Amino acid sequence: MTVVALHTQALVQPEAATYLDLLGRSLHAARLSNAFPERRPLQQSLETLAESLRLGLHGELYVDSRAGLPNLASFTRPLTDKSVARESLTRMGDRAALEARAGEAEVFARLAAKHAYYEKLQDRELAPVDHQRVLLRRHDPASGTAAFRIELTKLDASGVYVRLQIELTQVSSLWRRKVIDLDKDGETAAASEAFRSMVYRCADLDAEALFMRMHGAEGVSVERVQRGVIGPVLFAMPTGSGVQVIRTAEAPDDALGREWHAWSVGAGAAEHERPELLAAFATDSAALDIREERSNDPLSPLLRDRLRDQEQARYRALRERYPFKVFKDRKFVATPGLKTVAHATCAAAGTKNMIHALQIG
Amino acid sequence: MSSKANLDVLSRQVAYSGEGISVKSLETDIQKERTIQDNKVEELKVLRERNVNIQSAMAEELKKLRKFGDYLNGTATGGGFWAGFKEVLSYIPGLGSMSMSQRSIEELLKAQYQVSARRVKEAAEYVDTLKQSEQDLYKEIDRINVRIVEMAKNEREALNYVLELKALQEQLEGEEQAVEAGSVEQRDIQANIDKVRAKLAEHSTNVQLYGSAEERYARLKENTRKLADTIRNLAQDIQQYTTASSIKLDMASAQIQAIGRAADASTVMLEMKRSLDVMTESMNVTTQFVSDTQIFFRTNLDTFINELDTFDEKTSTVLEDNLRKSKEVEDARIQAAIDKAVKRSGAPAASPPSPSGA
Repeated sequence: MTVVALHTQALVQPEAATYLDLLGRSLHAARLSNAFPERRPLQQSLETLAESLRLGLHGELYVDSRAGLPNLASFTRPLTDKSVARESLTRMGDRAALEARAGEAEVFARLAAKHAYYEKLQDRELAPVDHQRVLLRRHDPASGTAAFRIELTKLDASGVYVRLQIELTQVSSLWRRKVIDLDKDGETAAASEAFRSMVYRCADLDAEALFMRMHGAEGVSVERVQRGVIGPVLFAMPTGSGVQVIRTAEAPDDALGREWHAWSVGAGAAEHERPELLAAFATDSAALDIREERSNDPLSPLLRDRLRDQEQARYRALRERYPFKVFKDRKFVATPGLKTVAHATCAAAGTKNMIHALQIG
Repeated sequence: MSSKANLDVLSRQVAYSGEGISVKSLETDIQKERTIQDNKVEELKVLRERNVNIQSAMAEELKKLRKFGDYLNGTATGGGFWAGFKEVLSYIPGLGSMSMSQRSIEELLKAQYQVSARRVKEAAEYVDTLKQSEQDLYKEIDRINVRIVEMAKNEREALNYVLELKALQEQLEGEEQAVEAGSVEQRDIQANIDKVRAKLAEHSTNVQLYGSAEERYARLKENTRKLADTIRNLAQDIQQYTTASSIKLDMASAQIQAIGRAADASTVMLEMKRSLDVMTESMNVTTQFVSDTQIFFRTNLDTFINELDTFDEKTSTVLEDNLRKSKEVEDARIQAAIDKAVKRSGAPAASPPSPSGA
């Protein structure tokens, strides 16, 4: 296994290009709703990474060995390149002049390639490592009531890429500290630093726990908490020589991980000819308008189904204080070889999930 | 009689390459080359200054990241963990004055990571710029070499021609000795000797000019080479440093997140502890209150009860007294009415009722 640092796996060409291509196409195949991190910037980040590897501007792609997604270093790379692109282009001068001197020395050929890369990068919208914003949904100055949506996109420390949305209403009061401030014209809003940080820190909690954590805090009434999670991604890439396979090195120790390990030592063990990839996309909502509490996520049952008998009464009492219901779901995108892993995972949990096909090549 | 010497030498065009040379044109050419060199030196100065700034900033950012790591993983404990941790947090603009639990450490560390990555990238970008400059200088060296070779060839042409002229001069001077003084032949030979002298003067100067140019271009080339070497060394140094820093950042990204999350968890734990401390304090105060109340009641209960008894007795006395007085008033009113009735009927008055009402 090519784990080179803590939870860090290194992929080189041509496996890195195959991986990025499959991952990018899996995002498209998943038909992601707006519950998930925005697909286009993420795809553009993946394309940028692929291009920088193809041009030899970077040598390795670093992947989180648990989540199977590009890690913080890889997410940061295109963003950093974009941040220096404009100034570098000014220094480099004209691309045609660099191309004309390509035969003179290696540096000119590389600079010409980098010039093209930077030019293209300037117009790209890339996936952020962290991005939090507050959107005003409604504002009634007469009653001092304002409804907001908080959106946080975060490359979580667990390696998955998360989008968290919280819809809430706040009634302003002179004596109460507000968690969100409206500007004077009542059109834009910003969360207080403490509230912003609380949202950030709690982003890895499930929607149910988040709802309870936020509801009632400083005059806030939560209506909906929704999480969309991209990952984990499991992959098996035959190396150039075709005798070895590079796999997600630290697959999670859950039902999916166990099916994956079983596949790796069984049908997948001999998989030296074609790349395989399976990506999971989970949603988790706690909201006032959900009619029936249910989990269709084979990896994440409802909390009530996981509690011991002696905890059930306390949990029920706690839930009675909050009027929301929970709904969880998960879909998969898988190449033909790994479809069996997704099917087996769902069958074991008794859930019926969307499994989209991802064609190879 | 015509001269036996080969006078064609005088009319031959010497094959100098280039645009010809004069002291002025040589100075102009050399000045041009020096200007190119000076510009590169200036460019290098600017690059060096920017590089120093970027590398200092980069070193500073990386130091902050390392300090975060050291304090958070417990390898730096001087002054206590939290004292050190607060110190490193104070490096981040805007955070120093903030309460620790206000900001997510994971978010801050990731932001710091991105700043460091940008610094490394900025420094790395200079490597290509320097390599480009280095190549420009090597191209300049090639151009100077062409000039050196050209000057050397021209010098050789001039030298050869000067030698031919010298031989012609000697031959003509020999012929002059052989002819009659003041004759037409002598005058003709002298005229040719003058032409040879003029040519000698012209091409001897060329020998000097081309020779001098060759040497000056050679010195210029040497300086340009030194400049190119300096730029190459600088580029190599920056490349080594940025490559090492870049590897360090690539390898540290997962640690940064893990450390940040652990720190956030610690903050959450601290908040919980603070909350528990407040709760414990409240419970202590409440328990103390209950305990004090119990003691108070225990020690004072008898007095209370006695006081209550005393109060009841007094009340009874008052009530009985009131009742007795009311009865007396009522009896008096009844007796008065009976007395009045007896007086009207003339019958003898009845005796008043006894106070007991019997």
